[in-house]
Amino acid sequence: MQSVRLALQAMATRFELLMYGEDPVTLRAAGEEALSEIGLLEKQLSFYDTSSEISRINREAASGPVRVPARVFQLLQTAQGLSQSTLGAFDITIGPLMRCWGFVRGQGAWPSEDDLVAARNLTGMSLVVLNESQRSVEFKRPGVAIDLGAIGKGFAIEEAAEILRQCAITSALLHGGTSSIAAIGTPPDEPDGWPVGIADPQDHAKTVATVRLRDESFSVSATWGKAFRYDDGLWGHVIDPRSGLPVKGAALAAVAGPSASCCDALSTGILILDPHAARNVLDGCSDVRSLTGYVTEGEVTYYSNGIDHIRHGQT
Amino acid sequence: MGRHNVSRRSFLMGSAMISGAGLVRAANITQRPWPQGRDDVTCAIIGYGPQGRELASTLARVPGASLTAICDTYDPMLLRARRDVPEASRHTDYREVLDNPDIQTVLIATPTHLHKDIAIDALQAGKNVYCEAPMASGIEDAKAMARAARDASNQIFQVGQIYRSNPQHRSVYQFMRSGAIGRPAMGRGQWHSKESWRRTSPNADRVRALNWRLDPEVSLGLIGEACLLQMDVAYWVLGELPTAVHGFGQIMAWPDGREVPDTVQAIVEFPSGLHMMFDATLASSYDEAYEVYFGTDSTIIFRDRGKAWMFKEVDAPMLGWEVYARRDKFYKETGIALLANATQLDAQNQDPTEDDPNVETPLWYALQEFMDNHAFGPYPPAADWARGLEATSIAVAANKAITQRTRIDVDPAWYSLD
Repeated sequence: MQSVRLALQAMATRFELLMYGEDPVTLRAAGEEALSEIGLLEKQLSFYDTSSEISRINREAASGPVRVPARVFQLLQTAQGLSQSTLGAFDITIGPLMRCWGFVRGQGAWPSEDDLVAARNLTGMSLVVLNESQRSVEFKRPGVAIDLGAIGKGFAIEEAAEILRQCAITSALLHGGTSSIAAIGTPPDEPDGWPVGIADPQDHAKTVATVRLRDESFSVSATWGKAFRYDDGLWGHVIDPRSGLPVKGAALAAVAGPSASCCDALSTGILILDPHAARNVLDGCSDVRSLTGYVTEGEVTYYSNGIDHIRHGQT
Repeated sequence: MGRHNVSRRSFLMGSAMISGAGLVRAANITQRPWPQGRDDVTCAIIGYGPQGRELASTLARVPGASLTAICDTYDPMLLRARRDVPEASRHTDYREVLDNPDIQTVLIATPTHLHKDIAIDALQAGKNVYCEAPMASGIEDAKAMARAARDASNQIFQVGQIYRSNPQHRSVYQFMRSGAIGRPAMGRGQWHSKESWRRTSPNADRVRALNWRLDPEVSLGLIGEACLLQMDVAYWVLGELPTAVHGFGQIMAWPDGREVPDTVQAIVEFPSGLHMMFDATLASSYDEAYEVYFGTDSTIIFRDRGKAWMFKEVDAPMLGWEVYARRDKFYKETGIALLANATQLDAQNQDPTEDDPNVETPLWYALQEFMDNHAFGPYPPAADWARGLEATSIAVAANKAITQRTRIDVDPAWYSLD
């Protein structure tokens, strides 16, 4: 059994692909085709590339319906559905709010009430009209913008994994920035699946769980990494699109399931919801497993649904 | 903002001055409306590999284009076609597409060596044709296609030498032809990528067909399949056709039994005495792709899908407008951004010092030109059969020089049908 490892820089992150098989030349050929699909999707879905489909929608959809390629339209429909199933916690129209909070290019700062109200008025999937027969997108208001940052990576991984399957790859792990993962088959000598560690939100050297993936996808979202100080504490860069305010307290949302894009969106949405609402949403998705962590008084409380939490000191 | 406003006014004056001197051709920065009441052009794509898919996703944004059929001989590609363009019919035999009177136009994106038969059959079936570049893998094939296109003078035949239609390239072309770089001394182009160029399929018969680029019998190699568009720009902006090519090719990164080199260098000679070197490799992605032209007054670089910058010599004459133009740092050098449409951007209250948000890809402009030709033509496109024949001839000569590690004279008769 031979292994081939490939990598791609795209969507502001590093994608990495590990494959096992008999012939490294064939493995590489399949892997290159899969990664090139991610590059192709980046060109279509990028919020920043002025010639992407998303940029075109953001420029033109407030003036009238914009016809988009079928795959982009399907992704927007998926995003709309996930917005509903996460009770509005996952929302691809969150761009104006992120800008208002200074998260797009800066470190973040508390906005004025007027700015916040203006940004909230531009946020919400109800402002996006998807016309299936025309395959078009229209915004109800100028200033609305869609950003697929919280689902695009998972979608790209899903599409790339499909190409690997078409090329008859039977053992592969593909991840984007370690936070979105698709697993095909199992690695050699690991019949339970690909072991993936979930880092402790309070101590990255430790893992809070190891999830085994076999023909399954996975996504983890957390408030670590980017944060700013204001008033009584540290605020993360996760904004609740319904209130327009940063989420304080949620630490970790890890979701495993059949679709990488759904896992991506669910983990983002779950991070925003309170434990009770999150559980309701997850109960509505029978085919996903999850681990969520909430901070109370400096301690993280975990809720486990099919992904077991390892207590520190436990082997 | 204050400084910007002053600059903008001055920039506008400067830009107007260049336009007056005939240096800048204003670009079309907004979509030209499709003529009212005119039906969309019904299009079919033949060959739905990566380039065919790129054509499909771009066509979807081009006014006047309606993609109604997709043809490929390989099932996984047709599955992708169904996903990407569900309303288009799917076919495995291109003749079904040609026999369909409801299809006006075909876009050919098959492997290069399969272009000839499809293009000639399509022209004979009365279709307009957009053929990906290289137009053909051999000079005789290219001549047969060129003859068919020339004889079908009421039909459109456009080759995918897309930079010929790109406003940014057209603008810099006029800039260079006006002598802004002084006396051209030499040029250099590169295409770098880290990839094996291999394709795979669970179907063993398919593997050979998919790997046509690695088949020395039919492939034009890296110089033809990867560098052709850049070479096309070179002899276009330099205004002269190559007379000879020296070539070198090695297998440096992928010793997997292949015969087609994964790393090549070609030095192209021009009648003026100017030499231009192209190198391409599948071993390294360093600095990707660009072309650079060195002149006695300035050096111009094209990169990033048609962006261009000028680097002036300190003793070069002042052009005036460049004082206000955007500057970008390239390590220790400072490049003056050459924008095709600064005056129009200013008129639309867009900052000419920023990248234009309305700029489309070079392929979009090429397909827009192709569609416009249906509405207002037929007239010879910028990349017509003659340009396709020239590019194929140069690619064939360069590939031959590389595989034989020698110098190949380009027979001027290759370039024309007479």
